[in-house]
Amino acid sequence: MRKFYVIAGLSIILSLVFSGCDALGGQPAELKTLHVNSGGAGDIPTIDPAIAEDVTAITVIESTFIGLTQINEVTSLLEPGMATEWDEVINADGTQTITFHLRDDVPWVQWNDTKVEIVKDCAGKDRMVTADDFAYGIYRNLLPANASPYGYLLSFVLKGAAEFNDGDTEDFSTVGVEVIDDTTIALTFLEPAAYNAQISGLWVARPQPKWVIDGDDCTEAQGEKWTEPGSFQSYGPYTMSEWLHDSSMTLVKNPFWPGTDSVPQAKIDIVEIAMLDPVPAFAEYEAGNIDAAAVPLADIDRVKADPELSKELVIAPNLCTYFYGFNTTAPVVEDVRVRRALSMAIDRQGLIDNVLKGEQEPAQWFARPGLAGAPTMDTHPDLGVKSDPEAAKALLDEYLEETGQKAEDLDLTLVFNTSADHQKIAEALQQMWADNLGVNVKLVNQEWAVFLETIKGAATPQIWRLGWCLDYPDANNFLREVCAANGSSNPYDEAGNPAGGFFWNNDEFEDLMKQAAIETDPDKRLEMYARAEEILVYEDAVMIPIYWYTRVTVTKPYIIRTFSVGGHELYYKWDITSE
Amino acid sequence: MGRYIIRRLIYIFVVVIFVSLITFGLMHAVPGGPFSREKALPKETIAILNARYHLDDPLWKQYTHYVYEVLVPHITTTPPTTSLMDDYLISVNLGPTWFRWMNFGPSYRSRSRTVNDIFRDNLPVSAQLGTMALVIAILIGMPLGIMAALKQNTIFDYLGMAISIFGVSVPAIVLGPILVWLFGVALQWFPVTGWGAKPPYLLGLLPTNFGWDYFKYAIMPSVALGLGSSAVIARLTRASLLQTVREDYIRTARAKGLTERMVILGHALKNSLIPVVTILGPLFAALVTGTFVTETIFGIPGMGRYFITSITNRDYPVIMGTILLYAVLLVFANLAVDIVYAYLDPRIRYD
Repeated sequence: MRKFYVIAGLSIILSLVFSGCDALGGQPAELKTLHVNSGGAGDIPTIDPAIAEDVTAITVIESTFIGLTQINEVTSLLEPGMATEWDEVINADGTQTITFHLRDDVPWVQWNDTKVEIVKDCAGKDRMVTADDFAYGIYRNLLPANASPYGYLLSFVLKGAAEFNDGDTEDFSTVGVEVIDDTTIALTFLEPAAYNAQISGLWVARPQPKWVIDGDDCTEAQGEKWTEPGSFQSYGPYTMSEWLHDSSMTLVKNPFWPGTDSVPQAKIDIVEIAMLDPVPAFAEYEAGNIDAAAVPLADIDRVKADPELSKELVIAPNLCTYFYGFNTTAPVVEDVRVRRALSMAIDRQGLIDNVLKGEQEPAQWFARPGLAGAPTMDTHPDLGVKSDPEAAKALLDEYLEETGQKAEDLDLTLVFNTSADHQKIAEALQQMWADNLGVNVKLVNQEWAVFLETIKGAATPQIWRLGWCLDYPDANNFLREVCAANGSSNPYDEAGNPAGGFFWNNDEFEDLMKQAAIETDPDKRLEMYARAEEILVYEDAVMIPIYWYTRVTVTKPYIIRTFSVGGHELYYKWDITSE
Repeated sequence: MGRYIIRRLIYIFVVVIFVSLITFGLMHAVPGGPFSREKALPKETIAILNARYHLDDPLWKQYTHYVYEVLVPHITTTPPTTSLMDDYLISVNLGPTWFRWMNFGPSYRSRSRTVNDIFRDNLPVSAQLGTMALVIAILIGMPLGIMAALKQNTIFDYLGMAISIFGVSVPAIVLGPILVWLFGVALQWFPVTGWGAKPPYLLGLLPTNFGWDYFKYAIMPSVALGLGSSAVIARLTRASLLQTVREDYIRTARAKGLTERMVILGHALKNSLIPVVTILGPLFAALVTGTFVTETIFGIPGMGRYFITSITNRDYPVIMGTILLYAVLLVFANLAVDIVYAYLDPRIRYD
């Protein structure tokens, strides 16, 4: 018994000592510090705007470099960024030139180990962000040697960009980028598309400090290492002060960002981004060390039931779509009735309620509502494909009768990339197909890199899985990139024939894509995309849209924040009330 | 002994070359390449990347280039550049010339880092954690095994072995989250995630502060990682010691009138250590190069993650670098084990 008291006493003393340590080790009270987690465990591959590709990297870029235009993270509407205004002119040859007028009061800054400082040029004057810096950023994104994974974003809209990006010419002056003066830059686009101004503001077209990367008279060239702490320079509401690879990245407030209506000055002084797996990140949230975190699937039921945590829970839309594609030339699924039957036979709401649990929305079509030009459940409640097991069964029976087969003998295979979550979804749908249609679909999973090769080649399986998230919030970014001829993510061979994925081509769909891109009347544009969806998911049924993503997050009550529909949080719009 | 070690070093060289050949062959044989993406890269971009990293060369040329860059020391008059293709682990300035050695290549995934950066920043963390886990494993395992063997078939034996069965059957993936929840979230004695030291490291390996601020991060992961191994050590120690105490020379020692304490510590224990030392070699190599599960659960920026992600990303230089590092550590640890044998058991001679 005496031992028990000793242990109890010891643990009380220890806990007092440790809690004391925490109080002493904390930040000074006047500095507001936000603790968040990145997308997952592992290092951020790069924060160089020219070559960045993942959500965490783009989140950091959104806070450190501001684009010509800005897309509101909640409404997806276009707002001024570094450009205060812009003029659009359609040229005689059908191209469009947008002239952007830039702010002249934004200096480049750098963290110097104690504070944020304005960068000086070789003459000792402040280096301001100019039109040249924007042109240089676009140049680096398109430069073939940089091999930017997102070179295609500018390539398919900006005049001459594809030729430069492919290495057909080494003359950057052939690209539709013209610096008129320090605060004016004109970009010329192939066609007057609705999303030109949006793409002009994306992370692929942000200024970069040429003097740091290539060097000049008073700066040593850093090359690819320019994004490391010590050489990193930026100009947005935050700049990066520390990057502990695989561990954390720290952003500090840039007091020299002037603050505008759409991009205000940061209210939080320090943002610490941990690089943790979602499960330990949620443990840190519960321990009070992280202020906002994603809820792991296994914890959703507990969070919903918990009186405290349930108040901190927010389920917000995320502009992504989860879908299964068909190889429309493969046996059995080459018949549209089979494809449509498989799509109509699944109970999307049931899947969401019993498996996914994140209040996702059943997807009736591909381009997720919330994107410009995309139909919504308000405008088009009956569009696309809905669960209807009886009609599905009737369609399949018609096919079976015609071909003289039995449902249980149909040879169908679904291939997805190895992951516990994809497995759960596939098994649920396999069960629904068995119950509602009597078909037996085989499930095969493949490691990610192997899977990507599989679905982009001649041996694409009958049914395959993918998810698609926005690069810029327009229906074009979904429908054209994934489904149209020569879309960046739709495999085509040199001769212009489908070479993987859906193996599908529909002339009406192609025409709609081209017309909708340049349609200026939003209502007409909406109807064009709605018609395209009807062809895609119902008439030709080349894919099964399954659900529209949400993000399930918890945030401490003292945090004031917005929920970005693209997943790139804008920390300069967040605040901390009192801890 | 000297000749034996030289002979072994030659074998080690051959083994490592074989490991590198097999790894190189396998990683190029699996489908998918380092630039496969969900949003496919344009063909032109992939061609440029392949040319930059020499992936369009024939495989034998890629392999010999790799071996040349890693093994052959360069003496050159050009100073180091910031290029990622040009990062040598050892780079010494000798007046007008530079001595540069061991370029493991850039990471294809992290566009501003090299494999040597991973060795510099992440390996020390894994090595610190692994060493502490190994110390914990020995400190718990050996006494437990000795106690169980000396008090065979008593409550101490059963209790000791029960603890060790528990240790083996509860892996870090279960024990880790329990520790996190209990001591991190509920009691808040220790930080939930993170590591108490950051680069640059002392001698490239050690933390610069050895205070509570360092160890409070290390305790939970070291225990989670070390407990499983301690169970193995305990069982081996017990079995081996039980066998040794029945040997003739122990009977002789007792017959000479030595105290029981002297018999066990001076004669039985030392000889019974051989099986334990045998597993310590590979265990050391496995623990210090990092463990994916423990590092993920405790959010530790070690090297374990790179063994897994380099393969999923087809990040060829990182695959080669991590596997070769592990192979080299393993063969050297086994050499050390063999040398220790000779000390533990005078009957073992190598010449």
